[in-house]
Amino acid sequence: MNIGGKKIRVELFSKKKTNVFILDHMIELLLLLLIVVLSVFSPAFLTVNNILNILRNVAMKGVIAYGMCLVILAGEIDLSVGSQVALCAVIIAYISKALAGAGIMPIEYGAAVGLLVAILVAIGMGVFHAWARQKFNMPTFIITLANLNIMYGLAAIICGGFPIVNSFPEWYVFTGVGKVFGIPFPALVFIAVFVLFWFITEKTDLGRKIYAVGGNAEAARLNGINVFRTRIFVMCAVQVMCVLGGMMNSAQVRSATFGFGRGWETQIISSVVIGGTSMLGGIGTIWGTLIGVMFTGVISNGMTLLNINEYMQYVINGGLMFFAVMFNTYMTRKRT
Amino acid sequence: MSTLRAEHIIKDYPGTRALDDVTVSFDGGKVHAFIGKNGSGKSTLVKVFSGAIQPTGGKFFLDDKELCFNSPIDAREQGIATVYQELSLVPYLTVAENIYLGRLPKKGRVIDWRRTFSLADELLKRMNVDIDPHEKVYKLSMWQCQIVEIVKAMSFSPKVLMLDEPTSALAQHETQSLFQVVRTLRDQGVVIIYISHRLQEIWEIADTVTVLRDGRLVGVEQVSNVDHKAVISMMFGNVEIRKRPADLPVQDETVMEVKGLTRKNKFEDVSFSLRRGEVLGIAGMLGAGRTELLRSIFGADPFDSGEIIVKGKKVSRDPSPITMKRCGLGLTPEERKTQGIILIHSIRDNLCYASLDQISDRHVVNQARRAQFADQQVKDLEIKVPSVMTTANSLSGGNQQKVVIGNWLNTAPDIMMYDEPSRGIDVSAKQQIFQIMWEQSRKGVSSIFVSSELEELLEVCHRILIMYMGRIVGEVNPENLKIEDLYAYCMGGTIR
Repeated sequence: MNIGGKKIRVELFSKKKTNVFILDHMIELLLLLLIVVLSVFSPAFLTVNNILNILRNVAMKGVIAYGMCLVILAGEIDLSVGSQVALCAVIIAYISKALAGAGIMPIEYGAAVGLLVAILVAIGMGVFHAWARQKFNMPTFIITLANLNIMYGLAAIICGGFPIVNSFPEWYVFTGVGKVFGIPFPALVFIAVFVLFWFITEKTDLGRKIYAVGGNAEAARLNGINVFRTRIFVMCAVQVMCVLGGMMNSAQVRSATFGFGRGWETQIISSVVIGGTSMLGGIGTIWGTLIGVMFTGVISNGMTLLNINEYMQYVINGGLMFFAVMFNTYMTRKRT
Repeated sequence: MSTLRAEHIIKDYPGTRALDDVTVSFDGGKVHAFIGKNGSGKSTLVKVFSGAIQPTGGKFFLDDKELCFNSPIDAREQGIATVYQELSLVPYLTVAENIYLGRLPKKGRVIDWRRTFSLADELLKRMNVDIDPHEKVYKLSMWQCQIVEIVKAMSFSPKVLMLDEPTSALAQHETQSLFQVVRTLRDQGVVIIYISHRLQEIWEIADTVTVLRDGRLVGVEQVSNVDHKAVISMMFGNVEIRKRPADLPVQDETVMEVKGLTRKNKFEDVSFSLRRGEVLGIAGMLGAGRTELLRSIFGADPFDSGEIIVKGKKVSRDPSPITMKRCGLGLTPEERKTQGIILIHSIRDNLCYASLDQISDRHVVNQARRAQFADQQVKDLEIKVPSVMTTANSLSGGNQQKVVIGNWLNTAPDIMMYDEPSRGIDVSAKQQIFQIMWEQSRKGVSSIFVSSELEELLEVCHRILIMYMGRIVGEVNPENLKIEDLYAYCMGGTIR
């Protein structure tokens, strides 16, 4: 056994394997390093409260990032997510307040109806994106860029340019600020959505289809894979996740306005890309996206704890995204 | 008049000698047809003349001046221009701009448009071409584009003009217009080297015919002294056709019937039937519509009229690969790398894409069955991979092709359609792919096999359909059929 043990040692620490391991898990290792460094410099960092705080803060963009990961895996993009966050929050608030105000139903039910409508609108938008992609062969970059503006405008029109307040019942507010066994509810949602999307990509035939369509849509089509249906799914998934993110966001501030989610798309896409998902489609994992989201979350939390200027945080985040993509492109070239 | 002369040209590639001591000369004022089957070294010699590659040994001369090219630009500057099959025109620019692209005449630092158009106009007139230099290229038809390519090549005033299959994408009457231009240039004393796979064109346009086979020069003949048969036997020599195994019975049951299938401008009124276990070949020249036919049968492209009946059931008028897969069909596409396989994904994934339904239980992938499906094909088809997790882009062409085939065999198909499965893969991998077809035939799977390599069809198939310009013009039995005859049928579109 001694000899056997030795052999295994040699295998485990062979230089090549170690290098491959480091390269394959670069982002995870960097996240670990970051956590270690921050723990040393700021004693407040590695506390249960702060970790839960980070999870709560990343949850809203995080759930959308999972959806975005599917979209990018399928070789598409959705730039309209930020506006959908605002639109759905405003729709829920407006309907909830209108129904309760007119005395048709109590606000508890009104918010539920609003949520249902928001989900339907999100699905409609997702279907529209995929349909325009299919029918006119337009790049989703353009379709969703246009819809980014359309939905922003619609949200502003619905709320009349001002925040809608006093429109949410207790159960709704709970989704943003509530705690279950001391854990923030958004953090739980973030983890639950991770499990769901991880299961879809790793375990289901739908997941394989998403990778196939993103890897080579024509080959996927000739393999008898329904490319259109797969695209509909991913474009809808990210939009529905926007409703989830928008709901938690509006619940946290107890109001809804058209300014919600402004600029989220860049932060969300950068998390996905930092997590190793290729913008060309077909390569990436939900796990990577979780790491990417945590990475950006930990950085901004750490920078706040260390009292780094807010504007400096933009510079650092942008630089990070650049290096992440550079690293991924380099790795892809090295592998082929 | 000029003469292009090559002496003892040798070109070695690792493992093969593509050109073996070729000595040949081409005189000006004549059209020289240059032919040979696939792999004869014909295109290698063209590449040597055009400066795309350098020969391993030997010299070549233009009017007793030795030529030495480091790039196609060198060749053009020293008087040899080549027009390739693939057009290199920019669609949204005018004819004149395309002709002088990259060297537009200038007045100071700005482009002298007036001179550009007048120069182009003059050039077009000199070649008796009736195309407006102000026209945007995308508005031109295919044959006009081909002529603009020639005019562009002639704008360098070359002494030698090489035309690589200029008519392959043209219809019969369009060919005539192109020939007019070629004859005009011939009369101006240009050495014209004409590469074509349409044999009958030789007697129409060429003065001499030069035949290459297995990298060697077989002969140069005056066109008036030879007939079809002589040229074809020069091309093929004595080929030994291997026999397919005897134990490949065709069963009586008809698995697929195609009736009057038509797709406008691609193929017309195609009818045939396929029996269980049969290996049916479709022979024909490039552009005969074979690939288009397979794609339409598979639902990858639409068709205009006709019907497809699979196992007695009529297929809907608007089939898709999804429905045809359900009917038990599989297709390995012509473009392996861009349509057959997902290069960035693993062998295991690529072996299980078509069979996703089979490896999933209520949409959840059964990991054990997936591993088993992948391993089974790796073993059965002898796919040489370090591990099934290797990405497909690291495989050789032959192994990639086997992955594409294995992917479809995992769906347990009744009918497999192979579009040029042997293209770009080595001899032993080819034989293995034929073995796979035969093995499937023994299991009762029917195959449709499209190939440009006629000897392969003769070796592998029970029956061969001849396709010519979008139509099935006949059916032959490969037993006792000589390859020369099959070639003549494909070329001429008739069975004598």
